[in-house]
Amino acid sequence: MQTKIVSKNFEIPLSHTIDVALENGRYSSLEATFSKKPQEIIDIIKQSNLRGKGGGGAPAGGKWQLASDYEGTKYLVVNADESEPGTFKDRRILSLDPHLLIEGIIATCYAIGSHTSYIYVRGEYEEFSDITQSAIDEAYERNFLGSNAKYRVDITIHRGAGAYICGEKSALLESLEGKRGHPRLKPKSPEPEFYFGSPTLVNNVETIASVPFIVKNGADAYRAYGTEQSPGTLLFAISGNVNRPGVYEAEFGVSMIDYIQKLGGGVKNGKKLKAVIPGGASTPILPADMVESARLDYESLRGLGSSLGTGGMIVLDEDASMVKALKNLLRFYHHESCGQCTPCREGTSWVDKIMNKFVEKRATKEDLQILKSVSKTMNGKTICVFAPAASGVIDGFLKHFESEFLECIK
Amino acid sequence: MSFSYNIQNSSKIELLKKRYPDNRALILPLLWLAQKQESYIREDAMEHISEIVQLPYMNIYSVATFYSMFRLEKTKKRIVEVCRTLSCELNGSEDIKKHLDDNYSDNFEIIEVECMGACSGAPMCTLDGKYIENLTPQMIDEVLNAN
Repeated sequence: MQTKIVSKNFEIPLSHTIDVALENGRYSSLEATFSKKPQEIIDIIKQSNLRGKGGGGAPAGGKWQLASDYEGTKYLVVNADESEPGTFKDRRILSLDPHLLIEGIIATCYAIGSHTSYIYVRGEYEEFSDITQSAIDEAYERNFLGSNAKYRVDITIHRGAGAYICGEKSALLESLEGKRGHPRLKPKSPEPEFYFGSPTLVNNVETIASVPFIVKNGADAYRAYGTEQSPGTLLFAISGNVNRPGVYEAEFGVSMIDYIQKLGGGVKNGKKLKAVIPGGASTPILPADMVESARLDYESLRGLGSSLGTGGMIVLDEDASMVKALKNLLRFYHHESCGQCTPCREGTSWVDKIMNKFVEKRATKEDLQILKSVSKTMNGKTICVFAPAASGVIDGFLKHFESEFLECIK
Repeated sequence: MSFSYNIQNSSKIELLKKRYPDNRALILPLLWLAQKQESYIREDAMEHISEIVQLPYMNIYSVATFYSMFRLEKTKKRIVEVCRTLSCELNGSEDIKKHLDDNYSDNFEIIEVECMGACSGAPMCTLDGKYIENLTPQMIDEVLNAN
């Protein structure tokens, strides 16, 4: 069931060092890269239908084209700010195969015509970004990077400082410009992001790490994995009440329950499955009966009223309290709201406080109504999708487990 | 004595200046270097940063107070950050936090934090930034007493 494209070298000892990386195929796609024109690389990425792996799932090729179409200075920013509860896949690439990421950055920069790339790493990942930094230093020494390389690319690691919202690409760029991580207003028509006024492509670590395979083997080789609309693989992560929590790469479209049982080792302590949060904390929860029919791709989970997100599954067993679980998540949202938009700043604070009443079993019927009403107000009335995500989480818990909330009403 | 970067950090800053199109982008790296040097970010460090990047002090203070990892007040020397988010809670982080509070709060700054991206190693904490995963109270005793 495990399919290894991006994670192929993860278990090789010292795979983060350049000699081991070179022995195991790293940088071997560069010949194919430089034998093509930049537009040809973009076309291959479009044909592969590589989708962004940071949670949104937007086609990568379209974003590349937008950045490529501009003249002058351009930037590639790699989003390594994964901070979504349940998500810990990019960390594996940074620490176990950073040369794969560097190889992907070189190909992407070549395709869009950029010479400068920043890897924005979440502040907490200091020890993993140090590993990536030493890989970058090695790549400079061997002339894969820098002015002596075949195509000049400079990579700088930029360390965040503890703000979940900086995973949102425009907030990330604000942060990279030295400001508070406040998301920007979205343009009406598609355009690239801008870093200090220059067109900029922002892609997730895993998206960029998927590029070498596609460039080397072609779009069809990538599309041979996964489903028609969700081709390829994803580094799905699994945690919570399971026997073998971890990161296991699999094709899109595999059965969620099979994944939990075969790769995650099944529910811990022989307990029954109660629910799964399928793709990081911001994706609506699925009760066990829906998990049985769910497949791990964008379309299947959307059809079930949730979403694939980052593919970071959190498994809850029969003993888990849904009231306590929602309280836990809403405290996260309250803590991490950037405070820019009132419905989010006030709303996340309000629902977090109301959840105290439910946890302490002193809520009233009115509290339940307020919870629903505030959730509605947070949805669609803010600059970014942080508040709508929190709203979707609340709605998911209430839709499937409202009886547990009613039990907490005095 | 007013804040200034040591020689090692000053040379790092000169290298960093070449990496960004605008000195404003140096604010986060400069705050990190100031925090590393003094263990927290002093007011005069922010004044110094404002001179380097040629922006008002307010801009530096605004950024420093936005990000949860910047410390503007002196803390205990050793810091333990314990994750409280869902996968950790499902695997017993509340007991871990209590064990830390009950036994180590005199010598260590115990801070409860949001998800650290180590959900497969739940429950977890960091000790001075280093990840320690699959925690048990016994393991905490071993690690914190050895350090």
